[in-house]
Amino acid sequence: MSEPTIKPELMRISWGPQHPMSGQTRILLDTDGEKVHKIIADLGYTHRGIEKVLENRSLLGGLIPIERMAMVDTANISIGYVTAAEKALGIQVPERAQWIRSLVCEMSRINSHLYAFGLQAEATGYFPAVFIWTTVDREVLLDLFEELTGARWSFNHFLPGGVHKDFPEGFKEKIIEAAHYLRNRFKDYWNAMIENPMFEMRCDNVAILEPKDALRLGATGPVLRGSGIPIDMRKEEPYAAYADLDWQIITEDACDVMARTKVRFHEIGQSLNMMEQIAKEIPEGEIKTRFSPFARAPAGEHISRVENARGEMSIHLWTNGTTNPYRVKIMPPSLRNMYVFERLAELSNMTIADIPVVINSIDPWYLDADR
Amino acid sequence: MNYFNTAFGTASQVQQNLSGILAYILSFLSANSKPILQVLVLPGLAFTLVFAIVAVWFERKFLARAMLRVGPYYCGGRSGVLQVFADFIKLFLKEIIIPEKVNWLFFAITPVMVSMVPGLALVLIPFDANWVLWDIGSLGLPMFLAIMGIAPLMPIFAGWASNNKYSFIGAWRVAYMYISGEIPIVICAASVAIMAGSFNLVKIVEAQKNMWFAIPQFIGFIIFFIGLLIESERTPFDMPVAEVELVFGWRTEFSGILFGFTMMAEYVMLQAWTLLFITLYLGGYNGPIIMGNVIGSHIFWLLAKFAIIVVFVVLLRCVYSRPRMDQMLKIGWNYLTPIALLNLFVVLALKLWGIF
Repeated sequence: MSEPTIKPELMRISWGPQHPMSGQTRILLDTDGEKVHKIIADLGYTHRGIEKVLENRSLLGGLIPIERMAMVDTANISIGYVTAAEKALGIQVPERAQWIRSLVCEMSRINSHLYAFGLQAEATGYFPAVFIWTTVDREVLLDLFEELTGARWSFNHFLPGGVHKDFPEGFKEKIIEAAHYLRNRFKDYWNAMIENPMFEMRCDNVAILEPKDALRLGATGPVLRGSGIPIDMRKEEPYAAYADLDWQIITEDACDVMARTKVRFHEIGQSLNMMEQIAKEIPEGEIKTRFSPFARAPAGEHISRVENARGEMSIHLWTNGTTNPYRVKIMPPSLRNMYVFERLAELSNMTIADIPVVINSIDPWYLDADR
Repeated sequence: MNYFNTAFGTASQVQQNLSGILAYILSFLSANSKPILQVLVLPGLAFTLVFAIVAVWFERKFLARAMLRVGPYYCGGRSGVLQVFADFIKLFLKEIIIPEKVNWLFFAITPVMVSMVPGLALVLIPFDANWVLWDIGSLGLPMFLAIMGIAPLMPIFAGWASNNKYSFIGAWRVAYMYISGEIPIVICAASVAIMAGSFNLVKIVEAQKNMWFAIPQFIGFIIFFIGLLIESERTPFDMPVAEVELVFGWRTEFSGILFGFTMMAEYVMLQAWTLLFITLYLGGYNGPIIMGNVIGSHIFWLLAKFAIIVVFVVLLRCVYSRPRMDQMLKIGWNYLTPIALLNLFVVLALKLWGIF
């Protein structure tokens, strides 16, 4: 990237990629003392050409590379591709498989939000205690993943037409137990973060994103819902079993960093409710519709839109009658939110100390943004 | 050889001279055994180094418990006591990298100075009425504050000399913080001196024989404690080195043993301010005499109080997040300074009415 020009009275700081809080990207800050006047996000450090890789794999084989887009939120990424592939192949999915998909997706969402809390606490200058607590509590979910799918991390559980494995023996009780444990732990996080006066000082009225700006700039996920706009792909275009589950879209009207953090907190509550409901009410039946791994998808264009932990991910899939897709276009949520982040310095007053807090309220996953 | 003879005399003369020098050294040592002991052991070298080592070890072990970890585990048995020494050896053997275009003189000197200056202030702390390394009477408290007033210049020089943007911002954060923290501290110290009727640190301690000044001046006690955290750059007021914001603030460019010195400075600073805090508010060395040994029990009580305060300061680190710089200045100027002034006027009024 050629560097944009800078006003002579400002100082440009290169924030990352070798910075404790930057992640795998570079952010340029034009600062005047502590105040930040302009943010330029220089993405692309981790571009791996996943869209091109998918063109060279069959629809089934593509599920493995696409999961690598966001390791912390694999289920929600792969369900997007699976849904698009099912539309292309014209496969119906049994109801029980849909419910299992919803369960894995919600567990993955909690997993991702827990990571976001840990980083958010660390960004405000907390000693990394909260980060370690959330990492330890993720173990509960990872154990469940291991028992259900056979892998703790990047479980390739979904396939076009259903899921790979059914619930093992006594799994429903374990889900309810885990949900109960996590709900108790979230009271601790609420006290340590939201109720902590120092945390409030850092997060209240920081990086305010008005609803009209959020819509104009294309914000998505908790960033959009933190600005009070109830848009969630699980309600807009229900996939998996979300139409049958009882849950609400969470919104907060404060539009600041604290609102986004609270949205994530309450979304976890909704996810835990859904986990319990799925454990209690999951219908019996088949878990997959058989199809040939070398099935040829008829020529056409298919779009799937799913709600990741970070926001809406849309996949545009072109097929041309071969086993492989002709072209896959992925619109990841982190990329959209990073554009919002760039504009936030102009929309609200921001200091250098706010930058890590605001980045982690956006919660970008750069591997996801760079694809 | 000729030159040697003319300079030092013949071999037998040299032998005589040497034995004379040895005898002089021995007589000097026996005559000045107490000051030498003080310089080398108690307020001096050993105390500073041992405190830095023990505090680092304790902090790592203790905070690890808060984070559901065990902390240093392999170096020196399960307790990890040798980890600090291992780290020191590692830092000592590492290459000192001096980047291009730095002001190398300030870059090399300031890390040493930054841990030395607060160490100098320790000589004024009374560990007993007869155990003060540099007893300058009624100049004690002003001299302490004067020496500690030099300390913040060193990080500012270091940040300026580093020729790094993060160091530069960190250095100016140091300047802002010390201005907003030092003034309430000095006002609080002045109100203690008024209540004790003297600037002499020994007399201030003796005045607290019956009641610690923390009780009548509770507001000053709290403000001085917050000021102590600000001055020694402890969490929650560690903005100059805020890791997630400024990489490592004014310490970013230092490597090897220079970095080790900057880390040690944090603990020496904490040590100096905490000892003054105890001297002013928590009765200094006062305490029950144990087994008839007056000096020993006085030193014991001061160190015991010191240990408790340090544990409390470390505990704060896992509870609070860091305020922003503007919020920090707001705390300093809008709250600490006016309340400290109020405290001063209350003490003056109490003194005028003769209650104390």
